[in-house]
Amino acid sequence: MTTQGQVVEVRASRTRRRGRLVAAAMVAPAVLVVCGVYAYPALSTLAYSVSKIDLSPRFRIEGFVWLKNFINQLTDPHFWQATWITIYFGVMLCLVTVVLSFLIALLLNKTFFGRGLLRVTVLLPWAVPPVASGVLWVQMFHAEFGFLNGLIRAFGGEGGIIWLGGSTIALHSVLITEVWRWIPFATLFILAGLQIVPKSVREAAAIDGAGSWRGFRHVTFPLMLPVVVPVVIFLFVWAMKVFDTIFVLTRGGPTRGTTTLNFLTYRQGFVQFDFGNAAATAYLLSALTVVVIAGLGWMLARSRKLAGT
Amino acid sequence: MVALVGASAGRRLKRVLTYGAALLVLVVTAFPLYGIILTSIQTEPDIRSPDVAFVPTYIETEHYQRIFDETSGIPVAESMVNSLVVALATAFLTVAIAVPAAYALHRMSVPGRRIILGGFAAIYILPTLLFVLPLFIAVVQLGLYDTYIGLVLPYVAFTLPFMVWIMGSFVRAIPVEVEEMARIDGAGLRQLMFRIIIPLLRPGIFAGLLLGFILAWVEFLTPLLFTSDLSILTVTLGLFRSTMDIAIGQLAAATVITALPVILITAVFQRNISEVVTAGVER
Repeated sequence: MTTQGQVVEVRASRTRRRGRLVAAAMVAPAVLVVCGVYAYPALSTLAYSVSKIDLSPRFRIEGFVWLKNFINQLTDPHFWQATWITIYFGVMLCLVTVVLSFLIALLLNKTFFGRGLLRVTVLLPWAVPPVASGVLWVQMFHAEFGFLNGLIRAFGGEGGIIWLGGSTIALHSVLITEVWRWIPFATLFILAGLQIVPKSVREAAAIDGAGSWRGFRHVTFPLMLPVVVPVVIFLFVWAMKVFDTIFVLTRGGPTRGTTTLNFLTYRQGFVQFDFGNAAATAYLLSALTVVVIAGLGWMLARSRKLAGT
Repeated sequence: MVALVGASAGRRLKRVLTYGAALLVLVVTAFPLYGIILTSIQTEPDIRSPDVAFVPTYIETEHYQRIFDETSGIPVAESMVNSLVVALATAFLTVAIAVPAAYALHRMSVPGRRIILGGFAAIYILPTLLFVLPLFIAVVQLGLYDTYIGLVLPYVAFTLPFMVWIMGSFVRAIPVEVEEMARIDGAGLRQLMFRIIIPLLRPGIFAGLLLGFILAWVEFLTPLLFTSDLSILTVTLGLFRSTMDIAIGQLAAATVITALPVILITAVFQRNISEVVTAGVER
Protein backbone atom coordinates (compact mmCIF):
# COMPACT_ATOMS: atom_id res chain seq x y z
CA MET A 1 0.00 0.00 0.00
CA THR A 2 2.66 2.45 1.05
CA THR A 3 4.82 1.69 -1.96
CA GLN A 4 1.94 2.32 -4.27
CA GLY A 5 1.33 5.67 -2.61
CA GLN A 6 4.98 6.53 -2.95
CA VAL A 7 5.01 5.63 -6.64
CA VAL A 8 2.05 7.90 -7.26
CA GLU A 9 3.75 10.66 -5.30
CA VAL A 10 7.01 10.30 -7.23
CA ARG A 11 5.13 10.39 -10.49
CA ALA A 12 3.21 13.46 -9.42
CA SER A 13 6.36 15.29 -8.41
CA ARG A 14 7.97 14.34 -11.70
CA THR A 15 5.08 15.76 -13.73
CA ARG A 16 5.13 18.81 -11.50
CA ARG A 17 8.81 19.30 -12.24
CA ARG A 18 8.19 18.84 -15.94
CA GLY A 19 5.34 21.34 -15.74
CA ARG A 20 7.70 23.84 -14.18
CA LEU A 21 10.24 23.31 -16.94
CA VAL A 22 7.61 23.82 -19.62
CA ALA A 23 6.38 26.96 -17.85
CA ALA A 24 9.91 28.31 -17.64
CA ALA A 25 10.39 27.59 -21.35
CA MET A 26 7.23 29.53 -22.14
CA VAL A 27 8.42 32.56 -20.19
CA ALA A 28 12.02 32.32 -21.39
CA PRO A 29 11.70 34.21 -24.71
CA ALA A 30 10.04 37.17 -23.01
CA VAL A 31 12.56 37.21 -20.19
CA LEU A 32 15.47 36.89 -22.62
CA VAL A 33 14.25 39.77 -24.77
CA VAL A 34 13.69 41.94 -21.71
CA CYS A 35 17.11 41.08 -20.29
CA GLY A 36 18.76 41.76 -23.65
CA VAL A 37 17.07 45.09 -24.18
CA TYR A 38 16.69 46.36 -20.62
CA ALA A 39 18.95 44.62 -18.10
CA TYR A 40 22.07 44.39 -20.24
CA PRO A 41 21.80 47.97 -21.55
CA ALA A 42 21.01 49.32 -18.07
CA LEU A 43 24.23 47.73 -16.79
CA SER A 44 26.16 48.97 -19.82
CA THR A 45 24.88 52.47 -19.20
CA LEU A 46 26.04 52.13 -15.60
CA ALA A 47 29.48 51.20 -16.93
CA TYR A 48 29.41 54.16 -19.34
CA SER A 49 28.54 56.50 -16.49
CA VAL A 50 31.87 55.83 -14.79
CA SER A 51 33.92 55.75 -17.99
CA LYS A 52 35.51 58.07 -20.44
CA ILE A 53 34.09 57.11 -23.81
CA ASP A 54 35.40 57.82 -27.25
CA LEU A 55 32.95 57.56 -30.13
CA SER A 56 35.10 58.51 -33.07
CA PRO A 57 36.22 56.89 -35.20
CA ARG A 58 34.55 54.02 -33.38
CA PHE A 59 33.10 53.28 -29.97
CA ARG A 60 35.78 52.68 -27.36
CA ILE A 61 35.81 52.84 -23.57
CA GLU A 62 38.99 54.74 -22.86
CA GLY A 63 39.14 54.29 -19.15
CA PHE A 64 37.58 54.31 -15.73
CA VAL A 65 36.98 57.79 -14.33
CA TRP A 66 35.26 56.98 -11.02
CA LEU A 67 32.43 59.45 -10.38
CA LYS A 68 33.79 62.21 -12.58
CA ASN A 69 30.76 62.20 -14.91
CA PHE A 70 28.37 62.42 -11.98
CA ILE A 71 30.38 65.23 -10.40
CA ASN A 72 30.38 66.97 -13.79
CA GLN A 73 26.61 66.93 -13.73
CA LEU A 74 26.15 67.86 -10.09
CA THR A 75 28.44 70.89 -10.46
CA ASP A 76 26.94 72.01 -13.77
CA PRO A 77 24.36 74.79 -13.47
CA HIS A 78 22.75 73.53 -16.71
CA PHE A 79 22.11 70.20 -15.02
CA TRP A 80 20.39 71.89 -12.09
CA GLN A 81 18.40 74.11 -14.42
CA ALA A 82 17.21 70.98 -16.23
CA THR A 83 16.43 69.31 -12.90
CA TRP A 84 14.23 72.16 -11.68
CA ILE A 85 12.51 72.36 -15.06
CA THR A 86 11.88 68.60 -14.92
CA ILE A 87 10.45 68.72 -11.41
CA TYR A 88 8.32 71.78 -12.16
CA PHE A 89 7.07 70.20 -15.38
CA GLY A 90 6.28 66.91 -13.62
CA VAL A 91 4.39 68.55 -10.75
CA MET A 92 2.47 70.90 -13.04
CA LEU A 93 1.54 68.14 -15.49
CA CYS A 94 0.16 66.01 -12.64
CA LEU A 95 -1.62 68.89 -10.93
CA VAL A 96 -3.24 70.52 -13.97
CA THR A 97 -4.16 67.23 -15.64
CA VAL A 98 -5.68 65.72 -12.50
CA VAL A 99 -7.70 68.83 -11.62
CA LEU A 100 -9.07 69.26 -15.16
CA SER A 101 -9.69 65.53 -15.58
CA PHE A 102 -11.49 65.38 -12.26
CA LEU A 103 -13.79 68.21 -13.32
CA ILE A 104 -14.42 66.60 -16.71
CA ALA A 105 -15.05 63.24 -15.06
CA LEU A 106 -17.54 64.83 -12.63
CA LEU A 107 -19.27 66.35 -15.65
CA LEU A 108 -19.32 63.07 -17.56
CA ASN A 109 -20.70 61.33 -14.48
CA LYS A 110 -23.91 63.37 -14.86
CA THR A 111 -26.60 62.50 -17.33
CA PHE A 112 -27.20 65.08 -20.03
CA PHE A 113 -27.96 65.19 -23.72
CA GLY A 114 -24.86 64.56 -25.82
CA ARG A 115 -22.84 62.87 -23.09
CA GLY A 116 -21.91 59.98 -25.38
CA LEU A 117 -20.52 62.35 -27.99
CA LEU A 118 -18.51 64.23 -25.38
CA ARG A 119 -17.11 60.97 -24.04
CA VAL A 120 -15.76 60.00 -27.45
CA THR A 121 -14.38 63.47 -28.12
CA VAL A 122 -12.56 63.60 -24.80
CA LEU A 123 -10.80 60.37 -25.73
CA LEU A 124 -9.60 61.60 -29.13
CA PRO A 125 -6.34 63.34 -28.15
CA TRP A 126 -5.13 60.03 -26.76
CA ALA A 127 -5.31 58.47 -30.21
CA VAL A 128 -3.12 61.14 -31.77
CA PRO A 129 0.52 60.02 -32.16
CA PRO A 130 2.74 62.21 -29.93
CA VAL A 131 4.69 63.57 -32.89
CA ALA A 132 1.46 64.43 -34.70
CA SER A 133 0.17 66.20 -31.59
CA GLY A 134 3.43 68.14 -31.55
CA VAL A 135 2.93 69.20 -35.15
CA LEU A 136 -0.68 70.23 -34.64
CA TRP A 137 0.17 72.27 -31.56
CA VAL A 138 2.97 74.01 -33.47
CA GLN A 139 0.16 75.09 -35.76
CA MET A 140 -1.92 76.23 -32.77
CA PHE A 141 0.96 78.17 -31.21
CA HIS A 142 2.31 79.85 -34.34
CA ALA A 143 2.88 83.51 -33.50
CA GLU A 144 1.73 85.02 -36.81
CA PHE A 145 -0.98 82.74 -38.14
CA GLY A 146 -1.54 80.27 -35.33
CA PHE A 147 -5.06 79.44 -34.17
CA LEU A 148 -4.56 80.55 -30.56
CA ASN A 149 -3.54 84.09 -31.48
CA GLY A 150 -6.25 84.08 -34.14
CA LEU A 151 -8.78 83.16 -31.46
CA ILE A 152 -7.53 85.93 -29.17
CA ARG A 153 -7.84 88.42 -32.01
CA ALA A 154 -11.33 87.15 -32.82
CA PHE A 155 -12.35 88.04 -29.26
CA GLY A 156 -10.86 91.51 -29.62
CA GLY A 157 -7.49 90.88 -28.03
CA GLU A 158 -4.13 91.79 -29.48
CA GLY A 159 -3.12 88.18 -30.21
CA GLY A 160 0.58 88.84 -30.51
CA ILE A 161 1.74 86.22 -28.04
CA ILE A 162 4.92 84.46 -29.11
CA TRP A 163 4.00 81.13 -27.55
CA LEU A 164 7.28 79.37 -28.21
CA GLY A 165 9.42 82.50 -27.94
CA GLY A 166 10.53 82.91 -24.31
CA SER A 167 11.86 80.09 -22.20
CA THR A 168 9.11 80.34 -19.55
CA ILE A 169 6.19 80.65 -21.93
CA ALA A 170 7.58 77.90 -24.17
CA LEU A 171 7.75 75.54 -21.19
CA HIS A 172 4.10 76.26 -20.47
CA SER A 173 3.19 75.78 -24.12
CA VAL A 174 4.78 72.33 -23.99
CA LEU A 175 2.84 71.79 -20.76
CA ILE A 176 -0.45 72.70 -22.46
CA THR A 177 0.29 70.20 -25.23
CA GLU A 178 1.05 67.42 -22.78
CA VAL A 179 -1.94 68.17 -20.56
CA TRP A 180 -4.15 67.99 -23.64
CA ARG A 181 -2.63 64.62 -24.53
CA TRP A 182 -3.07 63.13 -21.06
CA ILE A 183 -6.52 64.37 -20.10
CA PRO A 184 -8.20 61.40 -21.89
CA PHE A 185 -6.30 58.80 -19.90
CA ALA A 186 -6.73 60.58 -16.57
CA THR A 187 -10.43 61.31 -17.19
CA LEU A 188 -11.16 57.71 -18.13
CA PHE A 189 -9.40 56.43 -15.03
CA ILE A 190 -11.05 58.90 -12.64
CA LEU A 191 -14.47 58.42 -14.22
CA ALA A 192 -14.19 54.67 -13.68
CA GLY A 193 -13.33 55.42 -10.05
CA LEU A 194 -16.24 57.84 -9.62
CA GLN A 195 -18.65 55.18 -10.82
CA ILE A 196 -17.42 52.94 -8.02
CA VAL A 197 -18.09 55.55 -5.30
CA PRO A 198 -21.65 54.56 -4.48
CA LYS A 199 -24.22 57.24 -5.09
CA SER A 200 -25.86 56.30 -1.81
CA VAL A 201 -22.78 57.44 0.09
CA ARG A 202 -22.93 60.86 -1.51
CA GLU A 203 -26.70 61.06 -0.99
CA ALA A 204 -26.25 60.16 2.66
CA ALA A 205 -23.73 62.97 2.98
CA ALA A 206 -26.16 65.37 1.30
CA ILE A 207 -28.92 64.36 3.73
CA ASP A 208 -26.54 64.95 6.60
CA GLY A 209 -26.43 68.53 5.36
CA ALA A 210 -23.18 68.48 3.45
CA GLY A 211 -23.30 70.84 0.49
CA SER A 212 -21.81 70.08 -2.90
CA TRP A 213 -18.36 71.32 -1.94
CA ARG A 214 -18.33 69.71 1.51
CA GLY A 215 -19.68 66.47 0.08
CA PHE A 216 -16.89 66.51 -2.44
CA ARG A 217 -14.21 67.53 0.03
CA HIS A 218 -15.09 65.06 2.80
CA VAL A 219 -16.73 62.17 0.97
CA THR A 220 -15.92 61.91 -2.72
CA PHE A 221 -12.34 63.13 -2.60
CA PRO A 222 -11.01 60.84 0.18
CA LEU A 223 -12.72 57.89 -1.45
CA MET A 224 -11.16 58.85 -4.76
CA LEU A 225 -7.59 59.14 -3.46
CA PRO A 226 -6.73 55.51 -4.18
CA VAL A 227 -7.80 56.18 -7.78
CA VAL A 228 -6.12 59.56 -8.13
CA VAL A 229 -2.71 58.53 -6.78
CA PRO A 230 -2.11 55.86 -9.46
CA VAL A 231 -3.05 58.44 -12.10
CA VAL A 232 -0.50 60.82 -10.60
CA ILE A 233 2.12 58.04 -10.68
CA PHE A 234 1.44 57.34 -14.36
CA LEU A 235 1.51 61.03 -15.24
CA PHE A 236 4.69 61.72 -13.33
CA VAL A 237 6.50 58.80 -14.95
CA TRP A 238 5.31 60.08 -18.30
CA ALA A 239 6.41 63.64 -17.53
CA MET A 240 9.90 62.36 -16.75
CA LYS A 241 10.04 60.72 -20.19
CA VAL A 242 8.53 63.45 -22.38
CA PHE A 243 10.54 63.66 -25.55
CA ASP A 244 8.57 63.78 -28.80
CA THR A 245 6.61 66.92 -27.92
CA ILE A 246 9.68 68.85 -26.79
CA PHE A 247 11.61 67.72 -29.85
CA VAL A 248 8.93 68.89 -32.25
CA LEU A 249 7.86 72.07 -30.46
CA THR A 250 11.07 73.59 -29.13
CA ARG A 251 14.10 71.26 -29.40
CA GLY A 252 14.73 72.05 -25.74
CA GLY A 253 14.94 75.80 -26.33
CA PRO A 254 14.71 78.72 -26.30
CA THR A 255 17.86 79.09 -24.18
CA ARG A 256 17.40 75.63 -22.66
CA GLY A 257 14.02 76.69 -21.26
CA THR A 258 12.37 73.37 -22.16
CA THR A 259 15.40 71.12 -21.67
CA THR A 260 14.23 68.54 -19.16
CA LEU A 261 16.66 65.94 -17.78
CA ASN A 262 15.42 63.46 -20.37
CA PHE A 263 16.05 65.92 -23.16
CA LEU A 264 19.43 66.84 -21.65
CA THR A 265 20.38 63.14 -21.78
CA TYR A 266 19.40 63.04 -25.44
CA ARG A 267 21.43 66.16 -26.18
CA GLN A 268 24.50 64.93 -24.35
CA GLY A 269 24.23 61.50 -25.95
CA PHE A 270 23.11 62.11 -29.49
CA VAL A 271 23.93 65.75 -30.22
CA GLN A 272 27.25 66.09 -28.37
CA PHE A 273 27.97 62.32 -28.50
CA ASP A 274 29.25 62.45 -24.94
CA PHE A 275 28.00 59.05 -23.77
CA GLY A 276 29.76 59.16 -20.40
CA ASN A 277 27.98 62.27 -19.21
CA ALA A 278 24.72 61.23 -20.89
CA ALA A 279 24.83 57.95 -18.98
CA ALA A 280 25.40 59.78 -15.70
CA THR A 281 22.47 62.13 -16.41
CA ALA A 282 20.24 59.17 -17.33
CA TYR A 283 21.01 57.56 -13.99
CA LEU A 284 20.42 60.76 -12.04
CA LEU A 285 17.05 61.13 -13.80
CA SER A 286 16.23 57.50 -12.99
CA ALA A 287 17.11 58.12 -9.34
CA LEU A 288 14.84 61.19 -9.23
CA THR A 289 11.98 59.21 -10.79
CA VAL A 290 12.39 56.25 -8.46
CA VAL A 291 12.46 58.45 -5.36
CA VAL A 292 9.30 60.33 -6.36
CA ILE A 293 7.47 57.14 -7.36
CA ALA A 294 8.47 55.48 -4.10
CA GLY A 295 7.01 58.47 -2.22
CA LEU A 296 3.79 58.31 -4.24
CA GLY A 297 3.61 54.55 -3.68
CA TRP A 298 3.79 55.14 0.05
CA MET A 299 1.00 57.72 -0.27
CA LEU A 300 -1.06 55.19 -2.22
CA ALA A 301 -0.69 52.59 0.51
CA ARG A 302 -1.72 55.20 3.11
CA SER A 303 -4.69 56.45 1.09
CA ARG A 304 -5.90 52.89 0.61
CA LYS A 305 -5.77 52.42 4.35
CA LEU A 306 -7.61 55.71 4.94
CA ALA A 307 -10.29 54.89 2.36
CA GLY A 308 -10.67 51.46 3.88
CA THR A 309 -11.56 52.77 7.34
CA MET B 1 -43.96 79.65 -3.52
CA VAL B 2 -40.87 81.81 -3.63
CA ALA B 3 -38.78 78.82 -2.59
CA LEU B 4 -40.26 76.76 -5.44
CA VAL B 5 -39.45 79.41 -8.05
CA GLY B 6 -35.98 79.67 -6.60
CA ALA B 7 -35.49 75.91 -6.85
CA SER B 8 -36.54 75.72 -10.49
CA ALA B 9 -34.39 78.72 -11.37
CA GLY B 10 -31.53 77.05 -9.56
CA ARG B 11 -32.09 73.87 -11.52
CA ARG B 12 -32.19 75.79 -14.76
CA LEU B 13 -28.97 77.56 -13.84
CA LYS B 14 -27.39 74.19 -13.09
CA ARG B 15 -28.43 72.89 -16.49
CA VAL B 16 -27.04 75.91 -18.26
CA LEU B 17 -23.78 75.45 -16.36
CA THR B 18 -23.64 71.75 -17.28
CA TYR B 19 -24.16 72.39 -20.97
CA GLY B 20 -21.79 75.34 -20.92
CA ALA B 21 -19.08 73.19 -19.35
CA ALA B 22 -19.75 70.35 -21.79
CA LEU B 23 -19.46 72.72 -24.72
CA LEU B 24 -16.22 74.16 -23.37
CA VAL B 25 -14.70 70.70 -22.91
CA LEU B 26 -15.83 69.68 -26.38
CA VAL B 27 -14.25 72.73 -28.00
CA VAL B 28 -10.97 72.57 -26.07
CA THR B 29 -10.34 68.89 -26.75
CA ALA B 30 -11.46 68.85 -30.37
CA PHE B 31 -10.20 72.22 -31.53
CA PRO B 32 -6.53 71.33 -32.20
CA LEU B 33 -7.64 68.31 -34.23
CA TYR B 34 -10.13 70.43 -36.12
CA GLY B 35 -7.40 73.01 -36.67
CA ILE B 36 -5.00 70.59 -38.32
CA ILE B 37 -7.72 69.22 -40.61
CA LEU B 38 -8.73 72.77 -41.50
CA THR B 39 -5.10 73.64 -42.25
CA SER B 40 -4.73 70.60 -44.49
CA ILE B 41 -7.59 71.70 -46.77
CA GLN B 42 -6.64 75.36 -47.17
CA THR B 43 -4.33 76.94 -49.73
CA GLU B 44 -0.88 77.91 -48.54
CA PRO B 45 -1.48 81.72 -48.72
CA ASP B 46 -4.64 81.32 -46.62
CA ILE B 47 -2.79 79.21 -44.06
CA ARG B 48 -0.12 81.86 -43.76
CA SER B 49 -2.57 84.74 -43.50
CA PRO B 50 -2.89 86.39 -40.08
CA ASP B 51 -6.67 86.50 -40.67
CA VAL B 52 -7.16 83.03 -39.30
CA ALA B 53 -10.28 81.42 -40.75
CA PHE B 54 -12.13 79.14 -38.35
CA VAL B 55 -14.69 77.85 -40.80
CA PRO B 56 -13.67 76.46 -44.19
CA THR B 57 -15.15 78.25 -47.19
CA TYR B 58 -13.66 75.75 -49.64
CA ILE B 59 -11.90 72.38 -49.66
CA GLU B 60 -8.50 72.15 -51.28
CA THR B 61 -7.25 68.58 -51.77
CA GLU B 62 -4.01 69.62 -53.42
CA HIS B 63 -1.86 68.99 -50.31
CA TYR B 64 -3.04 65.41 -50.08
CA GLN B 65 -2.29 64.82 -53.75
CA ARG B 66 1.11 66.48 -53.41
CA ILE B 67 2.38 64.40 -50.50
CA PHE B 68 1.72 61.21 -52.45
CA ASP B 69 3.40 62.69 -55.51
CA GLU B 70 6.72 61.19 -56.56
CA THR B 71 8.29 64.61 -56.90
CA SER B 72 7.58 65.80 -53.35
CA GLY B 73 10.64 65.84 -51.12
CA ILE B 74 9.26 63.41 -48.58
CA PRO B 75 8.34 59.87 -49.66
CA VAL B 76 5.11 59.71 -47.65
CA ALA B 77 3.76 56.64 -49.45
CA GLU B 78 7.04 54.78 -48.96
CA SER B 79 7.20 55.78 -45.31
CA MET B 80 3.68 54.44 -44.81
CA VAL B 81 4.75 51.10 -46.28
CA ASN B 82 7.80 51.07 -44.00
CA SER B 83 5.73 51.85 -40.93
CA LEU B 84 3.15 49.26 -41.95
CA VAL B 85 5.78 46.51 -42.33
CA VAL B 86 7.54 47.38 -39.10
CA ALA B 87 4.30 47.80 -37.12
CA LEU B 88 2.81 44.52 -38.35
CA ALA B 89 6.01 42.61 -37.62
CA THR B 90 6.18 44.17 -34.16
CA ALA B 91 2.54 43.40 -33.38
CA PHE B 92 2.75 39.71 -34.36
CA LEU B 93 6.13 39.07 -32.77
CA THR B 94 5.21 40.77 -29.51
CA VAL B 95 1.93 38.92 -29.17
CA ALA B 96 3.57 35.60 -30.10
CA ILE B 97 6.10 36.02 -27.30
CA ALA B 98 3.70 37.60 -24.79
CA VAL B 99 0.82 35.07 -24.91
CA PRO B 100 2.74 31.96 -23.74
CA ALA B 101 4.65 34.06 -21.21
CA ALA B 102 1.46 35.59 -19.79
CA TYR B 103 -0.24 32.18 -19.61
CA ALA B 104 2.71 30.56 -17.87
CA LEU B 105 3.10 33.45 -15.43
CA HIS B 106 -0.55 33.43 -14.40
CA ARG B 107 -1.61 29.79 -14.67
CA MET B 108 1.53 27.70 -14.19
CA SER B 109 4.22 27.66 -11.55
CA VAL B 110 7.17 29.64 -12.85
CA PRO B 111 10.23 30.08 -10.66
CA GLY B 112 10.68 33.77 -9.82
CA ARG B 113 7.18 34.63 -11.01
CA ARG B 114 6.75 37.66 -8.77
CA ILE B 115 10.19 39.04 -9.60
CA ILE B 116 9.50 38.72 -13.33
CA LEU B 117 6.09 40.43 -13.12
CA GLY B 118 7.45 43.11 -10.80
CA GLY B 119 10.46 43.68 -13.02
CA PHE B 120 8.26 44.02 -16.11
CA ALA B 121 6.24 46.73 -14.37
CA ALA B 122 9.27 48.50 -12.87
CA ILE B 123 10.94 48.87 -16.28
CA TYR B 124 8.32 51.45 -17.24
CA ILE B 125 9.43 53.82 -14.54
CA LEU B 126 12.90 54.24 -16.02
CA PRO B 127 13.62 56.61 -18.91
CA THR B 128 13.99 54.97 -22.33
CA LEU B 129 17.29 56.76 -22.93
CA LEU B 130 18.81 54.75 -20.08
CA PHE B 131 18.55 51.70 -22.34
CA VAL B 132 19.00 53.39 -25.68
CA LEU B 133 22.63 54.53 -25.28
CA PRO B 134 24.16 51.00 -25.35
CA LEU B 135 21.49 49.79 -27.76
CA PHE B 136 22.61 52.41 -30.22
CA ILE B 137 26.19 51.10 -29.99
CA ALA B 138 24.94 47.51 -30.37
CA VAL B 139 22.75 48.36 -33.37
CA VAL B 140 25.64 50.09 -35.11
CA GLN B 141 28.14 47.31 -34.30
CA LEU B 142 25.78 44.56 -35.44
CA GLY B 143 25.16 46.35 -38.72
CA LEU B 144 21.46 46.85 -37.92
CA TYR B 145 21.51 50.62 -38.37
CA ASP B 146 19.01 51.62 -41.10
CA THR B 147 17.42 48.15 -41.25
CA TYR B 148 13.91 46.85 -40.49
CA ILE B 149 15.33 44.48 -37.89
CA GLY B 150 17.10 47.35 -36.17
CA LEU B 151 13.66 48.93 -35.69
CA VAL B 152 11.54 45.84 -35.00
CA LEU B 153 13.81 44.42 -32.28
CA PRO B 154 13.72 47.50 -30.02
CA TYR B 155 10.00 48.04 -30.76
CA VAL B 156 9.20 44.46 -29.71
CA ALA B 157 11.28 44.81 -26.59
CA PHE B 158 9.81 48.17 -25.61
CA THR B 159 6.26 46.87 -26.09
CA LEU B 160 6.74 43.43 -24.57
CA PRO B 161 6.53 44.08 -20.79
CA PHE B 162 3.31 46.05 -21.28
CA MET B 163 1.94 43.37 -23.60
CA VAL B 164 2.66 40.56 -21.10
CA TRP B 165 0.79 42.57 -18.51
CA ILE B 166 -2.23 43.19 -20.79
CA MET B 167 -2.34 39.54 -21.92
CA GLY B 168 -2.11 38.55 -18.25
CA SER B 169 -5.38 40.36 -17.54
CA PHE B 170 -7.04 38.44 -20.38
CA VAL B 171 -5.58 35.13 -19.19
CA ARG B 172 -6.87 35.72 -15.68
CA ALA B 173 -10.37 36.25 -17.10
CA ILE B 174 -10.44 32.64 -18.37
CA PRO B 175 -12.26 30.53 -15.78
CA VAL B 176 -10.00 27.91 -14.21
CA GLU B 177 -12.86 25.37 -14.41
CA VAL B 178 -12.61 25.31 -18.21
CA GLU B 179 -8.98 24.26 -17.97
CA GLU B 180 -9.63 21.70 -15.26
CA MET B 181 -12.36 20.15 -17.34
CA ALA B 182 -10.04 19.89 -20.36
CA ARG B 183 -7.36 18.31 -18.18
CA ILE B 184 -9.80 15.75 -16.81
CA ASP B 185 -10.68 14.92 -20.41
CA GLY B 186 -6.98 14.12 -20.83
CA ALA B 187 -5.83 17.16 -22.79
CA GLY B 188 -2.09 17.75 -22.75
CA LEU B 189 -0.59 21.22 -22.47
CA ARG B 190 -0.29 21.64 -26.23
CA GLN B 191 -3.89 20.65 -26.83
CA LEU B 192 -4.99 22.83 -23.94
CA MET B 193 -3.15 25.82 -25.41
CA PHE B 194 -4.25 25.47 -29.02
CA ARG B 195 -7.76 24.03 -28.53
CA ILE B 196 -8.89 25.92 -25.43
CA ILE B 197 -6.72 28.82 -24.31
CA ILE B 198 -5.85 30.50 -27.59
CA PRO B 199 -9.44 30.37 -28.94
CA LEU B 200 -10.69 31.80 -25.64
CA LEU B 201 -7.98 34.46 -25.75
CA ARG B 202 -8.96 35.53 -29.26
CA PRO B 203 -10.42 38.92 -28.27
CA GLY B 204 -7.37 39.59 -26.11
CA ILE B 205 -4.98 38.58 -28.87
CA PHE B 206 -6.81 40.82 -31.31
CA ALA B 207 -6.63 43.73 -28.88
CA GLY B 208 -2.94 42.98 -28.31
CA LEU B 209 -2.23 43.01 -32.05
CA LEU B 210 -3.93 46.38 -32.41
CA LEU B 211 -2.07 47.78 -29.43
CA GLY B 212 1.28 46.50 -30.70
CA PHE B 213 0.54 47.99 -34.10
CA ILE B 214 -0.34 51.39 -32.65
CA LEU B 215 2.66 51.58 -30.36
CA ALA B 216 5.01 50.75 -33.25
CA TRP B 217 3.23 53.12 -35.63
CA VAL B 218 3.61 56.13 -33.31
CA GLU B 219 7.17 55.37 -32.12
CA PHE B 220 9.50 58.28 -32.74
CA LEU B 221 12.68 58.09 -30.66
CA THR B 222 13.85 54.70 -32.00
CA PRO B 223 13.69 55.60 -35.72
CA LEU B 224 15.13 59.02 -34.94
CA LEU B 225 18.22 57.45 -33.39
CA PHE B 226 18.50 54.14 -35.27
CA THR B 227 17.83 55.26 -38.85
CA SER B 228 18.89 58.09 -41.10
CA ASP B 229 18.26 56.86 -44.62
CA LEU B 230 15.15 58.15 -46.42
CA SER B 231 14.46 54.65 -47.79
CA ILE B 232 13.66 53.39 -44.27
CA LEU B 233 11.81 56.53 -43.15
CA THR B 234 8.81 55.88 -40.90
CA VAL B 235 5.68 58.05 -40.93
CA THR B 236 6.38 59.73 -37.60
CA LEU B 237 9.94 60.54 -38.57
CA GLY B 238 8.68 61.75 -41.95
CA LEU B 239 6.59 64.38 -40.16
CA PHE B 240 9.63 65.73 -38.40
CA ARG B 241 11.82 65.65 -41.49
CA SER B 242 9.07 67.50 -43.30
CA THR B 243 8.84 70.32 -40.75
CA MET B 244 11.96 71.61 -42.43
CA ASP B 245 11.38 71.23 -46.10
CA ILE B 246 7.74 71.00 -47.07
CA ALA B 247 4.90 73.43 -46.97
CA ILE B 248 2.64 73.75 -43.91
CA GLY B 249 -0.41 72.53 -45.81
CA GLN B 250 1.40 69.36 -46.84
CA LEU B 251 2.73 68.88 -43.33
CA ALA B 252 -0.84 69.17 -42.02
CA ALA B 253 -2.07 66.67 -44.59
CA ALA B 254 0.73 64.26 -43.69
CA THR B 255 -0.14 64.68 -40.00
CA VAL B 256 -3.79 63.84 -40.66
CA ILE B 257 -2.74 60.79 -42.70
CA THR B 258 -0.39 59.64 -39.92
CA ALA B 259 -2.92 60.09 -37.15
CA LEU B 260 -5.91 58.69 -39.02
CA PRO B 261 -5.09 54.94 -38.81
CA VAL B 262 -4.44 55.22 -35.08
CA ILE B 263 -7.64 57.16 -34.45
CA LEU B 264 -9.65 54.62 -36.45
CA ILE B 265 -8.01 51.66 -34.71
CA THR B 266 -8.57 53.26 -31.31
CA ALA B 267 -12.27 53.54 -32.04
CA VAL B 268 -12.34 49.81 -32.84
CA PHE B 269 -10.05 48.98 -29.93
CA GLN B 270 -12.32 50.79 -27.48
CA ARG B 271 -15.32 48.70 -28.46
CA ASN B 272 -13.18 45.58 -28.36
CA ILE B 273 -11.95 46.23 -24.86
CA SER B 274 -15.33 47.18 -23.44
CA GLU B 275 -16.77 43.98 -24.95
CA VAL B 276 -14.17 41.91 -23.15
CA VAL B 277 -14.67 43.82 -19.90
CA THR B 278 -18.46 43.43 -19.92
CA ALA B 279 -18.07 39.75 -20.79
CA GLY B 280 -15.79 39.38 -17.78
CA VAL B 281 -18.26 41.17 -15.51
CA GLU B 282 -21.16 39.05 -16.72
CA ARG B 283 -19.21 35.91 -15.99
